[in-house]
Amino acid sequence: MAADAISVEERLFSLVLALVATEHGLTKAEILSNVQGYRQRYEVRGDNASLERQFERDKDDIRELGVPLETIESPQDAGNNQNLRYRIPKGAYDLPSEVSFTPEEVTLLNLAGEVWREGSLSSESHRALLKLASLGIAVDDPTIGYAPRVRVREPAFGPLTSAIERQLVVKFPYFKPGERTALLRTVAPLALVQHQGRWHLSSIDRDRDEPRTFLLSRIVGPVTTTRTVFERPAGVDSAAAALAELDRVLQLNTVVIAVEPGSDAESRFVPRAIASTAAADGELPTHTLNYSDQVLMADELASYGPEVRVIRPVAMRDQVIARLRAVAEAHSAARDEAAGAPGASPLTPAAPTSARASRRQAAARTTR
Amino acid sequence: MSARPMQAQDKLAFLLSLVPFLIEHDGVSVTDAAARFGVTPEEMRTAVRLIAISGVPGESRQYGPDDLFDIDWDEFEEDDRISITHHVAIDDSPRFSSREAAALIAGLQYLSSLPENADRAALASLTAKLASGSTGGPAAVAVSADGGDARVAPLREALLARRRVSFDYRSAQGDRERRLVDPLRIDSENQSWYLRGWDHSRGAVRIFRLDRMSALTVTDEDSSTVAADVQLSDALFETSPDNLTIRVELPESALTLLGEYLPDGTRTAPGSSADLVIATLRVGHFHGLKRLIALLSGVATVLDPPEARAAVADWAQRGLDQYTHTASSTDAASSDAASSSSADK
Repeated sequence: MAADAISVEERLFSLVLALVATEHGLTKAEILSNVQGYRQRYEVRGDNASLERQFERDKDDIRELGVPLETIESPQDAGNNQNLRYRIPKGAYDLPSEVSFTPEEVTLLNLAGEVWREGSLSSESHRALLKLASLGIAVDDPTIGYAPRVRVREPAFGPLTSAIERQLVVKFPYFKPGERTALLRTVAPLALVQHQGRWHLSSIDRDRDEPRTFLLSRIVGPVTTTRTVFERPAGVDSAAAALAELDRVLQLNTVVIAVEPGSDAESRFVPRAIASTAAADGELPTHTLNYSDQVLMADELASYGPEVRVIRPVAMRDQVIARLRAVAEAHSAARDEAAGAPGASPLTPAAPTSARASRRQAAARTTR
Repeated sequence: MSARPMQAQDKLAFLLSLVPFLIEHDGVSVTDAAARFGVTPEEMRTAVRLIAISGVPGESRQYGPDDLFDIDWDEFEEDDRISITHHVAIDDSPRFSSREAAALIAGLQYLSSLPENADRAALASLTAKLASGSTGGPAAVAVSADGGDARVAPLREALLARRRVSFDYRSAQGDRERRLVDPLRIDSENQSWYLRGWDHSRGAVRIFRLDRMSALTVTDEDSSTVAADVQLSDALFETSPDNLTIRVELPESALTLLGEYLPDGTRTAPGSSADLVIATLRVGHFHGLKRLIALLSGVATVLDPPEARAAVADWAQRGLDQYTHTASSTDAASSDAASSSSADK
């Protein structure tokens, strides 16, 4: 049989079957010389280096599917790579028998898997749905005419989920809110959470040895995964803890705003209001909101221009005014003419010193 | 589950999931099995043929007949049905990987932001089951339940019951109008929810943001247009050729902050100083652009066209005007109060 006649999935499938069937484990040599897909390329007394590398990659691929592929060291011969034995204990491979799902639960899980249909986690959710289908519980397709989706636009998401799982330290350039340039950060990644519509990375900053939360949208360059392994805090649900912390920080700050009735700002902010007052005569109704980060909240409020007016606190009001003024000045007709050629340094003089100073001051107070 | 090209790893997950299903469903038809796994009948047949010749090396190390899976070949080839007559090594559904379980759990958390899925106890028990059915540690991905919309449930019911709906709708430009719509599809992207439907006043398919709808009612009338009648794309927004071209200058490291406005492969030109670049964006109208630029105050500046600069400047200036006007009216009010109180004394 020609070696190329055996597909990758057949080799992987045969490896899983062989390792589940063995009780005491198989050595690498036994695997390479006997298992379908390897044995065709195995050379007795030859150099099997490339086949060995193939086996290493296959092990990783199989483990990534949640298959518990174990390595057992020979007690007499610890440290000898050639005498390691590999197996998949069936008890740890099988879905536990007490895990069963009702048809209603399967319907909901099918919808939950479809949430990740595009981009990040789409492979994981697709495979989860295959495993769910293997249970054979027949349900109606919940996705007819219905496509709820989470879309993560930030390219950092993929490398970070992988580094979290492998417990590897990562480095990335981070554009902290309120700053003018990005800085390289080195962190132990713990969890990725979406809060108030934004994705956050919860981590331990390795330079400061303190917990730090980063906004994924502000990781502005590639995530580099190092070879440094870190210890995950034991017994902690990092994702739940990160959400709880973001909720706690959210409760700390309030802003009171007036919004234009029937505007996009009303759609955006009123559902989030923790308190609202009725309209006094001639005045707009006001709404009280919580927020986590002063700089980000000021950015968001400013983006709604005339649709939102900040009533208090004064610091937030001043920040929003400074942002609007900077935008108005940077785009004024006078500057248009004075600049002559487009792009003649519109940026640096655009943000007045006072605005930048207040942003920097605010940034210093935030935990990000 | 829907069809998508499978990588070798996905195919392995498919094979490992298929074996226990086939053992449990003796004599299942190829088409039924294919539908359950979201694959084509031909993909199902290929997988069954592969399983039928697979097995373990066995005592002999030679893959003897007893070491291999076997199927009822006559039934398979003549009736297009699948019966496994001999199986080896595996017979149970595989566990979820921690990332697979995390994807489902985070998906559930997202759905729980909708009032109809907000049964916390049921959700907690399902999450616990997924965690105990997976290898590895606790999920490292979570979504807070704050992105739902109460209009989803009635719209979805109307869609499934094929009922026409009506609602007041405010356009991006701020105009309001009562709309009569046959619902076709509900989409969401993170915290934004959309309805696509046949708009009777326009005689065409239109897309509506749920947060711009009010006074939503499900009518007693049946929909005259259903999803099967029209071609709906999976993509919510398609770029139209008549889009406006805008040039924006910003620090290179801030490019990703442009998010959806910056399509993949956008080319940039050098800006007016070393760390600045000029990006060319395409937008449908200035409405979204002025908000984006105000969001990135002090970071991004529109260079041209002049109309775009004017729209941004006007937006910011009108925002500023509220404060100057309010300040003067407050001053007036307080001086009124001061004078009246002094008069009282």
